[in-house]
Amino acid sequence: MTAAIRLVSVQKHFGGISVAEDISLEIHAGEILGLIGPNGAGKTTLFNLISGIHAPDGGEIYLGDQPLSRLPIYKRARLGIARTWQHVRLFPTLSVLDNLLMGPRDYPGAGTDERAAAILARVGMSEARDKMPGELPFGQQKLVALARTLMNDGKVLLLDEPMAGVEGQVYETIKQVVRDEAKAGRAVCVVEHNVSFIRDLCTRAVFMFNGRIEQQGTVEELLASEKLAELYFGGKKGETRS
Amino acid sequence: MFELPILLQIGWTSLATSTYYVLFAVAFALTLKVAQVWNFVQAGVMGLAFYAMYAAMLKWGWPTAAGFTFGLAVAVAAAVASEVWGYRVLRRRRSPGLLLFIFAIVVAEFVAYLLSLLFGTEPQSLKKSLVSEVHLVGGVAITAWDLEALGITIAACAALAFYLRRTRQGQFMQAVADNGELAELYGISANRAYVIAMAIAAILVSIGIYLYGTRASMIPNAPLELILLAVIATILGGIGSLAGAAISAVFLSVLQSASILVIPSQWQSSLTYVVLFVVILFFPTGFRLPAWMAAKMRAR
Amino acid sequence: MEYIYSVLILIGINIIMASSFNLIIGYGGLISIAHPIFFALAGYCSAIVSMKFGVPIPLAIVLGTLFSTVLSVALSLPSLRVSGDYLLIASIGFQLGFVEVIKNIEAAGAASGLTGIPALYSGPLRSPAFVVTILAVAALVVWLVHRMTHGDYGRAIQAMRDDEECFTSLGRNATAIKVAIFAVGSGVAGLAGALYAHYSQFLSPEQFGIIQSGLILTMVVVGGMGTTWGPVVGALLLTALPQAITFVNLPTAIMAPLQGMIYTGLVLLFLFVRPQGLMAKKVRQ
Repeated sequence: MTAAIRLVSVQKHFGGISVAEDISLEIHAGEILGLIGPNGAGKTTLFNLISGIHAPDGGEIYLGDQPLSRLPIYKRARLGIARTWQHVRLFPTLSVLDNLLMGPRDYPGAGTDERAAAILARVGMSEARDKMPGELPFGQQKLVALARTLMNDGKVLLLDEPMAGVEGQVYETIKQVVRDEAKAGRAVCVVEHNVSFIRDLCTRAVFMFNGRIEQQGTVEELLASEKLAELYFGGKKGETRS
Repeated sequence: MFELPILLQIGWTSLATSTYYVLFAVAFALTLKVAQVWNFVQAGVMGLAFYAMYAAMLKWGWPTAAGFTFGLAVAVAAAVASEVWGYRVLRRRRSPGLLLFIFAIVVAEFVAYLLSLLFGTEPQSLKKSLVSEVHLVGGVAITAWDLEALGITIAACAALAFYLRRTRQGQFMQAVADNGELAELYGISANRAYVIAMAIAAILVSIGIYLYGTRASMIPNAPLELILLAVIATILGGIGSLAGAAISAVFLSVLQSASILVIPSQWQSSLTYVVLFVVILFFPTGFRLPAWMAAKMRAR
Repeated sequence: MEYIYSVLILIGINIIMASSFNLIIGYGGLISIAHPIFFALAGYCSAIVSMKFGVPIPLAIVLGTLFSTVLSVALSLPSLRVSGDYLLIASIGFQLGFVEVIKNIEAAGAASGLTGIPALYSGPLRSPAFVVTILAVAALVVWLVHRMTHGDYGRAIQAMRDDEECFTSLGRNATAIKVAIFAVGSGVAGLAGALYAHYSQFLSPEQFGIIQSGLILTMVVVGGMGTTWGPVVGALLLTALPQAITFVNLPTAIMAPLQGMIYTGLVLLFLFVRPQGLMAKKVRQ
């Protein structure tokens, strides 16, 4: 199986702090990879490096066979890297529908009104299409943000804490969407603190700490690891929240 | 034309005149590094410092030391005021960066107009005569001003380096420059660091403008052009590096003087702008050694 | 009567300048102080090609406008590739540098100015014809800026200003939009400059100094950045104000800096007291 996205010895420093140290990682099509680790471990930084917000100090990122590090953010998005943000970051002055239509509209199949309507229906937000983001409860804003990301029908889906602050129906919807996207052949990578979400969805997980990949393997392996319990939760295993 | 003594003379003189450029550039780079503002207000501070010294020394007949101190006090007061009643208010309102820019550039222009209203647009300098005592060393004319300027500038830069590296307050400023939010978490006040950075910049600027005013003459619009050189030096030196800014300022000064040899004098002042575009086009993140050379340096 | 015509033309020119500058600074969120220099470059270009090469005046005006547009791309593209901050710095260099260059070019009349530029209109109805032309162009520019900043493209501009990082992550090229905005704004300033050259028949470097940058900025900030009518109101007010000061007989040595202080002082006042300007946009959440 070839990797949809491949990181080779990626490095990044801010001032004296290393936020990505020799990161090598592959995410395959159809896979849901969980990225776990405490705050400040470098998970979001990794997303920023892949999507092009930050340029790596060293190493290379490949989408298929295409090296990315010289491409600007928007070109990477057009090649099929879609992402969400920790804070939803919807455009506050645009309606829900216009938020979805903000992606490029100049290539086939992208950004049509029909497509936006279909995606809104998929996340159960058809009713809200003409509302402003500020009028929606937080959970629904998250759904809109996810829907906006799905407008990019690309190969890679990066989700930054999709479950933070959501519960109930919204939680179930997001879970279903993530599962369906992987089934449709996307490579999905999820940063998430919610352990049960990781356990339910991810086939594989990576544990990051201080800008390094400390451990990777199946979710069970990772959750059983003493090291993870110690570094992540600062305690023994068994005390982990779920 | 390209004889050795002439080259040596140009080299020496441009090194000496680079002193005030160095001080302006380091001041500008410092406020950019610590307070993260492109502080064009500095042009206003330069103008105020100069005309305060001019009024005190030449109009009121104060002794040089007193006149300088007066100019310094005016400069520091103006710089601190711009931070406390200007930048801080805009920052607190979370104004977009655009407004901070507008504020800075408009203050600089306002001061230039104010000074032309008060002092006119005739060129003025801080001494009645700009002729300085000359010694000939190996065919090169070295003036008393040259030596004074170099001595003062080196002392000022050394004092700044000592302050930033060795004192607690200086280290706090570095911390704020690296990460303002993090520094706040450790109980270091970013606002305090900004005020101190502005005050130090004003001191450097006052020294620089004193050196400038004892060698050349000044008009109210000149600081806006002088500061452009500081901006170029800051970018060329790599944003965040004070030493880089200082070295680039020396380089730019030498380049400007040496250009006399190859381009007609009426085009000389345009050279600054050409350099600006070359820097933005080719060295937008500062001059760096080519990768292979840098690798060699590291290997050593 | 001639005085009223000249004031009307000045108002028209200032509306064009303020509206196009508002497109750049208010909508595009780009800061540049070089707006007057694009006015100048087109004016000089149009004047010189019509005087030296006998190009018909309307064609010369088009050429001048294109010249400014192309140079604006040469300024904005390299600087915006790095960051928006660099555009301001490059624009300062552009503004101060080109004034310096024009002062040294003999073919452009150097420091004493370029005289004998052919007029677009002649005859007894010359002045009213100019008034009509320039006010019509002004109305067209206000409409153009409004169209560009509303509708699909306008929403994209708005989204870009709200959150550029997120905007580009959706696959939109923010730099291209900024360069386009800057080119259109600067081209319009060029059109105003070319028209002005063939009206006043005289250009000199003093007409495009930093004081003009300050004046246009004041019009936009006082009227209201990012509004359709703000720059129009700003242009009207700030064209009328100096006319009023002119009636007070002051020597130029006091007059010029005093005007400059009023312009910049107004910007500072509005920046802190009423940053949204006179024609306030509805307050956003």
